[in-house]
Amino acid sequence: MASSANSNPVPKLYRSVIEDVINEVRELFLDEGVDEQVLMELKTLWENKLMQSKAVEGFHTEEQAALQAAAHQQAQQATQQAQAQQVLLPPQQQVTSWQSTRPTVTSAPQQQVIVQDPKILQHMSATGMSAAATAATLALPTGVSPYHQLITSQGNLSQNCYIKTADGQILQFVRAANGAQYIIQPQQQMVLQQQVLPQMQPGGVQAPVIQQVLAPLQGGHPQQTGVIIQPQQIVLTGNKVQQNAQVMQMPGQPGQVQQIQQQVQQVQQAQGGAAPGPPQQQAKQQPPMMLQVDGAGDTSSEDEDEEEEEYDEDEDEDKDKDGGEDGQVEEEPLNSEDDVSDEEDQELFDTENVVVCQYDKIHRSKNKWKFHLKDGIMNLNGRDYVFSKAIGDAEW
Amino acid sequence: MAYQLYRNTTLGNSLQESLDELIQTQQITPQLALQVLLQFDKAINTALANRVCNRVNFKGSLNTYRFCDNVWTFVLNDVEFREVTDLVKVDKVKIVACDGKNTGNAAE
Repeated sequence: MASSANSNPVPKLYRSVIEDVINEVRELFLDEGVDEQVLMELKTLWENKLMQSKAVEGFHTEEQAALQAAAHQQAQQATQQAQAQQVLLPPQQQVTSWQSTRPTVTSAPQQQVIVQDPKILQHMSATGMSAAATAATLALPTGVSPYHQLITSQGNLSQNCYIKTADGQILQFVRAANGAQYIIQPQQQMVLQQQVLPQMQPGGVQAPVIQQVLAPLQGGHPQQTGVIIQPQQIVLTGNKVQQNAQVMQMPGQPGQVQQIQQQVQQVQQAQGGAAPGPPQQQAKQQPPMMLQVDGAGDTSSEDEDEEEEEYDEDEDEDKDKDGGEDGQVEEEPLNSEDDVSDEEDQELFDTENVVVCQYDKIHRSKNKWKFHLKDGIMNLNGRDYVFSKAIGDAEW
Repeated sequence: MAYQLYRNTTLGNSLQESLDELIQTQQITPQLALQVLLQFDKAINTALANRVCNRVNFKGSLNTYRFCDNVWTFVLNDVEFREVTDLVKVDKVKIVACDGKNTGNAAE
């Protein structure tokens, strides 16, 4: 450690806090009759979450350090292979012409496989969704994320091809080792799993219409995409449209479900409105969302008539969004769009920069404020900092 | 009692999440989890008071201020946080500060 003159005090501080807490609660755990094993599990969970948050750099236990070293070596070997094969690619790119590639091509040279993987990674990372989140949302059977499947099966069975659809869209068609076929649309935010298409013709490639995963509706929880639509056997020819869209609902907010349902209905109508039954049945797994135009459940029944009129308009919107929840406790967030001020929406950011501290003295002179703070923890731009004293100036 | 102020930090939130997971799998009781959090409050307050000694300066424009129940909450815009080693700029930051005069801590 002689090289790092200004070492970050945060990891050490956090580590010491963790140790202190764990040691102090050991007695409490034993008093309650809880096994030491659980205590260790708590510590492990705690440390893992800290590592995952990436708010602290260089934070890990010794075991993790060994694991990271091993993982590093493997990663280096993989990247070396990828680079070696990428070099061979440029002359071969002409081979991957648009219409000649078929999903059933089995004799595709290996070079094709590698090219796309970094791009896929870029696509994926650009979307901002972690591998775990993507895997979870796709409900992949194995514990392996799509990235790993694509990467680890480089030399074996996966084949990546570009397919140009009749619409002129360029879809990236990937066939992973397990036989499942993925179609990756760069514009979309998710990789959708596609079951085996019956026939793919070179001329008019029947690209499945990928109903995009609905983007997070309220911007508050990008990792909780509300709905995933897994199209089964979508044949987009204009002749007949078959769709058995399954609407799988993630544990989102109830207010989003109604909007999702509306969008699903739009999707279905766009495709001929086939099979609206199953999605609705599955949609009703949630607590029943019924449109309530009047009756019990009003919050404004005690108010005067004038206010009631205004409230009715708002309530109709509310009930459309809320689905008629009794009492409408959740009114504020849904009505926040009506507010003039933007501040509430801004405060719902993911990495809101927060400083938690104590104040020694806060001083103001006209509109000039001076802050004397101490013992603080800051999270700025996703990273953690600490201070024992902080002095600041601001103009209001 | 030490301030529970630091529970909404990376460290505190990860602890709370871990405790919640253990509660869900019924490996600990909620009461025990609460005790752990109280212990965490003490530990973090002590650690910050004793084990950290660095200064930070910051400058920006004040958007809002609030003083309620002896807690100051500020929202600043276009702020620069300056330490000896480096500089961090943010568009928006929220500062929550409890009274530092008599925290009830035995330390110091």
